Amino acid sequence: MMLIAGPLLVLWIAGLALVVMDGRRRAVGVAAIVAVAVAFALQAVLLGRVVTDGAQDLVAGGWAADVGIRLRVDALGAVFAVLSTGIVLASLVQAVATGVRSRTLPALTVFLTLGLSGLFATGDVFSFYVFFELAMIAAYALTAAAGTAREVSAAFLFAIVNLVGSFLFLIGIALLYRATGTLEMVAVAEAAGRLEATTAILLAITFFVAFGTKLGLFPFHFWLPTLYATASPPVAAIFAGALANIGAYGLLRFGGAILPKELALSATALIVIGTVSIAYGAIQAIGRRDTREVLAYSSIGHVGYILIALGLGGPIGLSAAVAFSIANSLNKALLFLSSELRGRLTAFIFLVGVLSVAGVPPTAGFFGKAALFDAGVRAEDWVAVAMLFVGGALSFVYIFQIYQHDRWRPREERERETPRGTAGVGQRLAAGAVALVVIVLGLWPQPLLAAGRDAADAIVIARGGE
Amino acid sequence: MNLVFAIAIGAIFGAGVYLLLQADLLRVVTGLALIANAANLTLMASGLSRGQSPILPLTGDEPVSDPLVQAMTLTAIVIGFATTALLLALAVVLYRRRHSVDLDDLSREEAAASARDETEEPALDPWRDVELVESDEPEGAPR
Repeated sequence: MMLIAGPLLVLWIAGLALVVMDGRRRAVGVAAIVAVAVAFALQAVLLGRVVTDGAQDLVAGGWAADVGIRLRVDALGAVFAVLSTGIVLASLVQAVATGVRSRTLPALTVFLTLGLSGLFATGDVFSFYVFFELAMIAAYALTAAAGTAREVSAAFLFAIVNLVGSFLFLIGIALLYRATGTLEMVAVAEAAGRLEATTAILLAITFFVAFGTKLGLFPFHFWLPTLYATASPPVAAIFAGALANIGAYGLLRFGGAILPKELALSATALIVIGTVSIAYGAIQAIGRRDTREVLAYSSIGHVGYILIALGLGGPIGLSAAVAFSIANSLNKALLFLSSELRGRLTAFIFLVGVLSVAGVPPTAGFFGKAALFDAGVRAEDWVAVAMLFVGGALSFVYIFQIYQHDRWRPREERERETPRGTAGVGQRLAAGAVALVVIVLGLWPQPLLAAGRDAADAIVIARGGE
Repeated sequence: MNLVFAIAIGAIFGAGVYLLLQADLLRVVTGLALIANAANLTLMASGLSRGQSPILPLTGDEPVSDPLVQAMTLTAIVIGFATTALLLALAVVLYRRRHSVDLDDLSREEAAASARDETEEPALDPWRDVELVESDEPEGAPR
């Protein structure tokens, strides 16, 4: 079906064509925007189709279903695909409007989008790895693209740590294949239910470490702050808003759908690690002044919430994890995109992001956090609820602290640090579009909550309909 | 056979981790390449089965050996090759910029550079800050 393969084909062809062109020329940047926009539109239509008709299947090359490689888009994948591609689109618009300074940025962004779209659309464990690696390699190169020593050493650290995570994931796939004899996700999920307890828990730990590294969870976080503080704002927005979704999606897919018993078994551990992540991220963030460093540490804190939601478990916990991931991606992308823009309108846009992270209505962040509290209260896990409350209070402190530090300062002093006047139209447009989505989802949260519920249903169906 | 594979994978992975923890950029890259190969070997080992070659038409009733792991390993080798090439390229750029492949040197220079930035960074309080900046005192100077 064209809707599933379409985005991948468009991005693949566009990426191949753009990589040989000089990305500093505006036309090349615009072409990349068009390619990502087409993919975004197709994925949005696909999401609509998935919501009304259920999961969509495509076996590549017209092979028999158990021979060919299967592309399978369910609500979980479609939601994350639309979210990630949308954020990449906004960031790319801003990057091109700001002026691209490296040859390869447009092409690498397109390849990164291709990797992301592919991994959210695949129904095969090994092609998940291939797409995942495609997105990650594009991300490593994207970090290093500017070529200054600081950026290259940040890219080196980023690449080394994440590659160890990737190869662990590959070893996990080998174990999974050995244990279940198949790579097709639905079949794997069925076979995984019959595994020996030790094998299954070993698998679960391997996958947890691999995706924890991607997400920047507490014990695997050390590569993240340098990277987010070094990269240019649009690139940091892509990393925080789109690339980090791999980790959340991976935990939901491999933990929630393939190894649900092990996920339930490790609930306490997940809540403990999530709590530590929240506390560590928040305390470090309060101690920092640089806006983007604060945002980086706050990202470490916020993945802790996703972990707590997974630990709470059940359909409510899973849907809270999805809803919070969506709100969190939008918040982080919005804050990074508007972090270095100046002017009244962008100050307002930044404020929308600040309010959303703090969870003040009417923003998407409010409903993301509300879903978490709801899951905690219904599971009657009062420790988790207390931690959510403390984490929320700490996020108030650091997020308003950067707002104050960043915006409530004499003009001449601000301009000394970021010597730029009012932001250009394209730059504001990109950040403004994300801000608009955050506010609309805050006023009309139905799509956000429905996305969470549908995705949680999709996970339960993928377990083999328990 | 399984035991041989397990020992080999363990040894290669261990050597890779050892190299990864060294301060030399090139050793780090080599260590990662070894870990990649340990993963490839694990993939191969996950489908060790005897049988006739999986090419149609099949002869007789003998079981077919598993061809899938070889396809996967081939893909994984290509990916590992790409990442190693990328890491080496990054190492070359770093060497050209800093004239060192020692990670300790690099992070020392990094710290020095960020300390220089810090000196110019104003304090959190916006009002007190204005005076501080105008008095032109190097705020982050050695204490």
